[in-house]
Amino acid sequence: MAVMPGATAPPDRVPAAGRHAGVVFSDDREWAGHLCAFVRGGLERDEQVQYFADTTDPGRVLRTLTDAGIDAAAAVTRGQLSVSTAAQTYLAGAGFDPDEMIGLWYDALEAALARGHRGLRAIGEMAWGARDTAGADRLLEYELRIHHEVFARLPLTAWCFYDRRLLPDAQVRVLAGAHLSHRGETVADPALRVAPLAGRPGLLMSGSAGYDTRDTVAAAAAAVRGAPAQRMELDLSALRHLDAASLAALADAAAGRPGGPSLRIRQAPPSLRRLLELFPELGAAVEVVDR
Amino acid sequence: MRTHSRSSAGSGRQSAFFHPALFYGTEDEYLDGVGTFVQGALDDGRPVLVAVPGPRLPLLRDALDGDRRHVTWVDMTQAGRNPGRILSMLQEFADRHETAHAPASIVGEPIWVGRTPAEAREATRHEALINLAFQGRPVSILCPYDTALPGDVLAQAHRTHPVVGDPAAYRASPRYADPHDVCRDCDTPLPEPRDPVVVPFGELDLARTRDEADRWAAAAGLTPDRRTDWLLAVSEATSNSVRHGGGSGTLRMWRAGDGLVAEIGDRGRLTDPLTGRRRPDPRSPAGGRGVWIMHQLCDLVEIRTTAQGLVVRLHMGPG
Repeated sequence: MAVMPGATAPPDRVPAAGRHAGVVFSDDREWAGHLCAFVRGGLERDEQVQYFADTTDPGRVLRTLTDAGIDAAAAVTRGQLSVSTAAQTYLAGAGFDPDEMIGLWYDALEAALARGHRGLRAIGEMAWGARDTAGADRLLEYELRIHHEVFARLPLTAWCFYDRRLLPDAQVRVLAGAHLSHRGETVADPALRVAPLAGRPGLLMSGSAGYDTRDTVAAAAAAVRGAPAQRMELDLSALRHLDAASLAALADAAAGRPGGPSLRIRQAPPSLRRLLELFPELGAAVEVVDR
Repeated sequence: MRTHSRSSAGSGRQSAFFHPALFYGTEDEYLDGVGTFVQGALDDGRPVLVAVPGPRLPLLRDALDGDRRHVTWVDMTQAGRNPGRILSMLQEFADRHETAHAPASIVGEPIWVGRTPAEAREATRHEALINLAFQGRPVSILCPYDTALPGDVLAQAHRTHPVVGDPAAYRASPRYADPHDVCRDCDTPLPEPRDPVVVPFGELDLARTRDEADRWAAAAGLTPDRRTDWLLAVSEATSNSVRHGGGSGTLRMWRAGDGLVAEIGDRGRLTDPLTGRRRPDPRSPAGGRGVWIMHQLCDLVEIRTTAQGLVVRLHMGPG
């Protein structure tokens, strides 16, 4: 797993993969450590800093920063720091919608730059993803898409806070695995891990895909379908097995993209080729290449 | 080369469902019975599929000299290696090629000398299921039976075919039985293996179970190609246990001869005997997709409903 190069480098020099991190912790002290390091780094570099709380009281975020010697009150007053809740902001509408959310990042960045900040950094508490929040089932799709659709294009740094006290481990593994940078506690890989490709639009799938991983496959398929890139790539070099339902979900997503076959599958496991022999109709929208 | 008689009964030109067993003892009887059936069908412009053991193919091709290009030839020992996948092939052929005026004519020889008793039992089940699957369709399916086959196999052919006979004449089979009864009789208890590897699983263990099945098969010497089939089949069966079999199951694996067997047991039931016998929509989990895939990939699939639930045995030969 890639390790974040550190919050000291200016965001414009940190590659996209380093600016979107999954942060995993399981107590308040670890939470405070990540929070303070992130906010301090942003304030020092004249970036706008936004904290989107879920279960944490915004007042407690500010107190924790103040206790750590950060002049949070002044930063709030001059408009450089804001602490709000997901429920008041991006979850205020009908529910979580990745497309809308991606649009919000563009708006927020534009506003931050217009105010003279050098960039935007944000923390999001992600525990709502484990509740029955409308659209929570699209969280993984979102995490998979924003690498290319947001971080590769905007000077945004974001840490997604995954509190193991609030999300089941199985979900944390899958969601943390969707980030190219990791901070905090190490979690085991899930049965099926999906992550964005670092250099080009596409996804890396590793592990074993079956009925048990259907939600992860559905999110990967949604990311394939929703990505605006002209060509998407699936790197399956580390995928040991894929079942018929998983292939059907991915093939359907590819077929749902406009403009002909636009999903290239690299280094597919033998099971994928065998399934295409059994179900040639699934091969129409994908291009399977050896390397 | 003798001339084929053109008795209407044996000519493959019936307008209603026609599923005769042809009992033959010699090559001449074979050529006469099958040749008459195929020639009649070709004369009527019906699409013809001939699925018989490979060594029979050149004989028939020669006998049908001029018309053989209009016949689809299939080596049954390959395509029908697992009797459980033959019906899907026959239905697919009929669906694709028949027209309102020209229904399909098929020669299907699912049992040959050398079939194991377990294979013959599943082939008998297949024969019974033909009657259900094509009920009411004007398809003709001639099934040649070598009289050198064991007596019990030949006796079953009288139960699974509404019509029986030899090249000279076909007649209604007095022993014809309800296909469901035949299927029930085929549900014989499966022999208990010695020292199987036992892997209980629930939904959260499915990935680990797949990996374990793959590792075990590799250690047992299964070739990579066959291991792909093995893993796909085990994956479908274990998924079905979680989805339909009470949420969990038990995988058992053992060696049998020079092949491997995987058995998946759960608390499910299979009520429709035609499940998995027709090509499914790969996008839809309904319609027996998993069982169809198992039949396509394995050399033999045995499915039994017991008092405890459902048992699926997947046999995988060395390749």
